[in-house]
Amino acid sequence: MTAAAVRLVRMHAVSRRVPAALVLLAACAAGLRGTLYGHWDAYGALQLPLVFETACAAIIAVTAGSPFGEPERATGRWLPYLRLGTAVTFTALASGALAVAGTGMPLAGGFPDIVRNVAGLTGIGLLCATVLGGPLAWTGPLAYLVAGVYGLYTDWHPPALSTPWIWPARPPHDVGGALCAAAVFAAGLAAITLRGARERPAGDGPA
Amino acid sequence: MTATSAPAAPRATVARRAAGSVILGSGRLLRLELRHNAMLWLLPVAFALFWYNGYREIMALPPMWNLRAMTLQNRLLFDLMVPATAAAAWMGSREGRRGITELVTGTARPRWSRQLATWGATTAWAEVGCLACVAVVYLITARQASWGGPLWWPAVVSAAGVPALTAIGFAAGAWFPGRFVTPLVTVVVFFGLAFGTQAASGDHAYWQVSPLIAGAFDIGAAPGVASFYPYLPDLSIAQVMFAAGLAVAILGALGIPVARMRWLAAAVTAAGLAAAGTAVALAGTGRLDPHGMIAIPALHDAAAGQPVRYTPACNRSPIPICVHPAYAGFLPAVATAVGSELTEFAGLPGAPARISQVAPVYQQEPGNGINVSAHVSGASQFIVPDPLPGQPGGTSDQFAANLAQGLGLQLASHVILGGTGRAAIPGPGQAGLAVIAGSVRFPPSVEARDLAPLYGSLLPQPGSPAAQAARRFAALSPAARHAWLAAHLAALRAGRVTLAQLP
Repeated sequence: MTAAAVRLVRMHAVSRRVPAALVLLAACAAGLRGTLYGHWDAYGALQLPLVFETACAAIIAVTAGSPFGEPERATGRWLPYLRLGTAVTFTALASGALAVAGTGMPLAGGFPDIVRNVAGLTGIGLLCATVLGGPLAWTGPLAYLVAGVYGLYTDWHPPALSTPWIWPARPPHDVGGALCAAAVFAAGLAAITLRGARERPAGDGPA
Repeated sequence: MTATSAPAAPRATVARRAAGSVILGSGRLLRLELRHNAMLWLLPVAFALFWYNGYREIMALPPMWNLRAMTLQNRLLFDLMVPATAAAAWMGSREGRRGITELVTGTARPRWSRQLATWGATTAWAEVGCLACVAVVYLITARQASWGGPLWWPAVVSAAGVPALTAIGFAAGAWFPGRFVTPLVTVVVFFGLAFGTQAASGDHAYWQVSPLIAGAFDIGAAPGVASFYPYLPDLSIAQVMFAAGLAVAILGALGIPVARMRWLAAAVTAAGLAAAGTAVALAGTGRLDPHGMIAIPALHDAAAGQPVRYTPACNRSPIPICVHPAYAGFLPAVATAVGSELTEFAGLPGAPARISQVAPVYQQEPGNGINVSAHVSGASQFIVPDPLPGQPGGTSDQFAANLAQGLGLQLASHVILGGTGRAAIPGPGQAGLAVIAGSVRFPPSVEARDLAPLYGSLLPQPGSPAAQAARRFAALSPAARHAWLAAHLAALRAGRVTLAQLP
């Protein structure tokens, strides 16, 4: 990799607040680790990781926003690859950080659950970034958090939600849930790679 | 007189005009903020979350005001948490996000005033969403409920929780403007509020002050709570005080950096903190009363402990069954579940003239355990088992099984054993046990179980001659069993009937 390429990647990362996002992802992992030391009932133990997975996904989605807009798009031949690389790298880092945080602790669902949920939630966030813009990309993952927590709640209080589109409520090795999460992640990656986050001429969103 | 009062009149006029101008200006500012507010755009998200998470489950509950109102309190704020907090954080970070903090510093209004207008508009839209959800649930329940009226305290707690959520979000956005603050503060609030209730343990827990907790933590929305006795507002008052105090404290803290308002803002913050702290302390003094609600001595009104007056709903079965009118919808199910027993035992010596529902009695146990019992005297009283069909985990089959095990067995044993009650039975004869077992219609799901651990003293051992005689007796029609019992009940009670003599 040439020095110019390294510089390009670095500049792209800085423009997307990647250093701050990395710190926040680490904080999420530390937060998960800290809370796992607590005593939780069955609800808490199952729902807790989803909160941190959502936080990571929202952070990744928010980093998709570009502060430059048209000039960057017009001059950046490598921009789609940079967007794709950033999203994939962040998703892998978030999954890894949360998995490391849960090592040796009673983490419900384990690594497969983390990968599925982080990927699916990130996909939702990236789709939101494409539609609403980077600064508002958190809306999708956060709204889905409530739906996911409710889905886990119905595992105890029938009728349980059986749709695989609420994948956090499915067992970790459930193929349907994994496929849905993967499909959403793939759609999010494709959208953010090809179109990038939406830019609003009048500002960064409502109000 | 004229010389001294003449200048005063213009001064008063000027002051009035200035005050009017300020009010008018504030109104215009609020109107502008209402028109350009993120919460307005997030209202559809809030409604969708409430429909998905709360509304469907609330509407699936039996149409009883206590069940639906208390579940509404638990669900509504939970569903509004994400959109309200996020919208407030987004609005609070507006000036910082757009880099116009310096630009608007020179405007006529102090920053605190502008911030309060923005927060007020965000909160107003969030309250619109909250009250719309309450209105829908209450209007539908009003059309479906067989008895009672709206419980307003759960709705008040939900409405009071909204400003606290928006204040937290708004302050975080104002203090730490940036692209990450909105999702982070929302997740933190979600975690704190949704998972904070897990720390609640017993009826003295300080965490009961959370606006998401409706009633005693381990009972929640139960049909027996606030049916026979009025809904106690003690915990709700503490929760409203906490939410309001928290909102005031946070909003006051926003004004502390403003130089000329520092002392006022500090006083407001201190007052808010005092209210919130007092509410937490009050919640810690709560105790579970026998009617299933949390009573806080400092807020308790002794008059609220009087039972609710009502006219019971009764059916026309051979032994009439009377229930609280709120349970009227379940009267047919109760009569069906024990219908054969009612036909069989009606008019026999010792059989009650009618069977009336009584209130369950709640007692706190260590931790979050709560014992639910009934002070039942004889076979003329019973409690409707919980959960009802429609409640989480409640099915019609389970409800019928619980009735058979409770009311059916209670009635049969009382009549066959002569009203001695289970505790006083020295050792009923095998024929008596066979008749009891043959009379009670356990649903198939119950028959498959081994009932001995629960009812060993009232039912014959599985596979024993008495159990075989019970099957023979059960094969008779209720009318035939009634006729046989009418002729042989005295002998059966005296132990003069053998298994071979059973029909």
